[in-house]
Amino acid sequence: MTATAALLLVALLAPLAAALATLGWPEPTPPGRLVPSGLRWRRAAMLAAGAVTAVCTLALAALVQRGETHTLSLLQLTPHTWLTLRVDAAGALYAATAAVLWLLALVYAVGYLHGPRLGRVHAALMVCLAAAIGVAYAGNLLTFFVFYELLSVLTYVLVVHDETPAALAAGLKYIVYVLFGGSLVLAGVLLTFALAGDLSFTVGGVFAADASANALRVAFACFALGFGVKAALMPLHGWVADAHPAAPAPCSALLSGVLVAAGGFGLVRVCFEVFGVATLHSLGVMPWLGAAAAVTIVVAALLALQQDDLKRRLAYSTVSQMGYLTLALALLGPIATAGALVHLVHHAFLKGTLFFCAGSFAHATGRRGMGSLAGLAARTPVTAAAFTLATLGMIGVPPLSGFVSKWWLGVGMLESSAPATLALLLIGALLAAGYLLPVVFTLYFAKGVTRPPGVAPKPGVATRSFEVEHRPPLLVAITVAAALTLVLGMAASAAGFPLALARQAAATFFGGG
Amino acid sequence: MTTLGPTLLPWLVALPLAGAALVPIVARRDARWAGGFTFAVALATTALASVLVAQLASQGPFSADLGGWAAPYGIELHFDRFAAWTMALAALFSFVIPFSWRYLDATLPRERWAPFYALMLLNLGGLLGFSVTGDLFNLFVTMEVVSLSSYALVAVAGRGVAAWAALKYLLLGAVSSLLVLFAVGLLFALTGSLNLADVSVRLAAAEPSGAALLALASLAVAFLVKAALFPLHVWLPDAHAIAPSPVSAVLSGLVVKVGIVGLLRVLQLAAGTGISLEPLNTVLMVLGATAIVMGAFLAIFQDDIKLMLAYSTISNIGYIVLGIGLASPFALIGAFVHVFNHALIKVTLFLAAGAIIHQTGYRTLSDLRGVARRMPQTAAAMAIGAVSIVGLPPTAGFVCKWYIALGAFEADQGGYGFALVFGALFIFVYYVRMLDAFFFRSPVRPEVADAVEAPWSMRAPVLVLAAACLVLGVLGGIPIGFVEPAVVDLLAALGR
Repeated sequence: MTATAALLLVALLAPLAAALATLGWPEPTPPGRLVPSGLRWRRAAMLAAGAVTAVCTLALAALVQRGETHTLSLLQLTPHTWLTLRVDAAGALYAATAAVLWLLALVYAVGYLHGPRLGRVHAALMVCLAAAIGVAYAGNLLTFFVFYELLSVLTYVLVVHDETPAALAAGLKYIVYVLFGGSLVLAGVLLTFALAGDLSFTVGGVFAADASANALRVAFACFALGFGVKAALMPLHGWVADAHPAAPAPCSALLSGVLVAAGGFGLVRVCFEVFGVATLHSLGVMPWLGAAAAVTIVVAALLALQQDDLKRRLAYSTVSQMGYLTLALALLGPIATAGALVHLVHHAFLKGTLFFCAGSFAHATGRRGMGSLAGLAARTPVTAAAFTLATLGMIGVPPLSGFVSKWWLGVGMLESSAPATLALLLIGALLAAGYLLPVVFTLYFAKGVTRPPGVAPKPGVATRSFEVEHRPPLLVAITVAAALTLVLGMAASAAGFPLALARQAAATFFGGG
Repeated sequence: MTTLGPTLLPWLVALPLAGAALVPIVARRDARWAGGFTFAVALATTALASVLVAQLASQGPFSADLGGWAAPYGIELHFDRFAAWTMALAALFSFVIPFSWRYLDATLPRERWAPFYALMLLNLGGLLGFSVTGDLFNLFVTMEVVSLSSYALVAVAGRGVAAWAALKYLLLGAVSSLLVLFAVGLLFALTGSLNLADVSVRLAAAEPSGAALLALASLAVAFLVKAALFPLHVWLPDAHAIAPSPVSAVLSGLVVKVGIVGLLRVLQLAAGTGISLEPLNTVLMVLGATAIVMGAFLAIFQDDIKLMLAYSTISNIGYIVLGIGLASPFALIGAFVHVFNHALIKVTLFLAAGAIIHQTGYRTLSDLRGVARRMPQTAAAMAIGAVSIVGLPPTAGFVCKWYIALGAFEADQGGYGFALVFGALFIFVYYVRMLDAFFFRSPVRPEVADAVEAPWSMRAPVLVLAAACLVLGVLGGIPIGFVEPAVVDLLAALGR
């Protein structure tokens, strides 16, 4: 067994082992003990597994950059299809993003998630990590679908963790949307197999040249709509704005950074390795996808402007930002594709930072409306600074990571001679400033409406915010994520960074080796 | 060694039937012994079945002539790959019996234990006889053994509603049995033979006639009633929901498959006779797709978990019948694998539901909220079963759904493929309701809030079966590899 195969297996199995270790649920909490003893071990196991997976995926990314690829057939799902894992540039990029963001979210969760039902959410987090890794490294469509559905369904546990009526309602909406999307993807996979007889991801596509164009269009529509639900492509985005606020903060970060991105990643795989650039050009379906993405970018950003709940605002921002990814894909140009992939990575960490911060703010104030944020920066300086940094990144201010991805997206749009889309990019950035900068302004400059002059501060509120800034896990996760947005921006073109991998992946997709 | 298979084959049927006769004697001193004895007989039968399957794998199909009378005249037992695959069904009895030990404690008075176990073994014997019989008359007889023992098992719970459910079951079952008897008589009159293979050959030699068509059609309709294909399903939900849970598991998982195996025998019979199967296949496809959707639709309105499971059987029979109707290689493989996989999943679900009902005393979703907190293992098994029956990967149900849908596209009937994929989505709606209530709601009943896990004799079968649902999903190649040659043979016989 080569080192690559070993790393692959460890990355996939470590979280599953940790999930098994966390199955001590329901834990009877002895009265008078703040942290049940088993919980400490369980958290250690989770963090260890998260770290192992992150290291493995990063190592695999490094190996891919040296030109190594590897295919590993694990199990025979049916006589015609194997469960196959494969390492390539795009997969390594998504896997490393998912694993690192997951590790940060796990660290954050240690400080954030308390109370009953921890065993359940811990186990779900670990299995979802394994499923995300499986999605990243899937070597054929069926393997991809298996892990994709596993990820979709188990995410339900993360969404409804709080078990409030709102969370349960959001969970129902989520599961109905996502299963509908999953069924569409399954129909697409079935059609692909019926048409091509083969499901392996192959650059340039799997279909024969004489395949019926209309059948191919139906298959593509299935995939586009199915993944569109997950990637929050309008008008299939309905679940996003409810599920994100309902989920606990670390889970919201993962929802945005990994799960919504899984839809985008699925589109990447399907476009370049099931259909292939030439086929897509001849089918003429991409303009439709691009139009949907364009609408998504603008409308979602406009909706974000109107949200009072910070997490809802961020959720709509995710919808809008994922629109960039789809739009860039629809252009079918190598640079735009590299931009899309690098945007997937950079957005994950930016949005992760923002959701981590939003969780801390909500924790500090006990509320989630914009009004509750007024003047909060004085009491939570580190968190507010991180939020500001990520906001600037989202808008695309150099030298932050958001700038790099937008630069490549913009260059790609020009290269594909679609200057009109460049305007969309700029409008999107402008609107991002419109929906995020007021939050920053409120944090720093608004007068605290919760504390009218002459009234003594509510004791609870003050101590809560004090507590938040003194919870090391939250601060560690927030600062590391914020630092990543800076580092990913400043050293973007360094070897071994996402941009290099994204360009390598795009070069592969477009046949440049 | 070569004669081992034919020698052992009659014992496969005789063993459980003899066991059934012995149960009352064993139970004379202490009714509890009946359970252990029945388990031993079920295990022995399973072991015997595995030997036969091993024989089949090494030397191909074999027959046994009862009493030494050669084939067209004597009674012939025939063990082919279809029969072998149904042996897996019989193996599920070995899980149901230990489960019912403790279950009966709470649900049945002691004096009814011996009849209960005897009927279970009769049912098993009938099922095995039905799969291996080589002649039409015994097809009828063994079907009646299965049916009659099933009616009695539904009524064994003994309350007023059970008697009504059993009566409804019996009335529709009797119609179907009459149709089979009528068809058998007709075929005998036409061909002068009762041996399945012989009848097929003689039908092929004779002119295709209206009478032969009528006989085959009667057989098909009769078996579809037995299989509870929508709209011939009306007897099923009540009977399956009212019966004690181990009985529900057997009825829903195994007994309805008598209809499916019978339908496949009809196809084998019709192969080569020159009778066009196109009309039958069209009917099967339409009814199958309708059953998938209607079963799901009716299940959505149920609050009783056992009724929900019963309606989901209707949907799943729809999958199988749709697969048979599509008659393409992939679809038939999927349908045939689903005969067992559905049984496995449904037995898992009914036993898990039974354990939950046994421990809490409640059976509706609204009462059972939050039950997963106190019975995590059973609820997890239920969740695995639910995900399997919906056909999410990587579970046993996905493999079948995948193949049947693939078969639809293969047969150029893409519409049915979409119907199946989105019908499954519809089914998931009510399983989401169930999982949501079990896992994500707070208990409303004190009995649920204070429930304890089921005893090991109930929990172990449930957990092993749930694990099997996952294993068969991940290693789907094994069952498919086993049934593929049988499907290829059938399709070759059908001239495709």
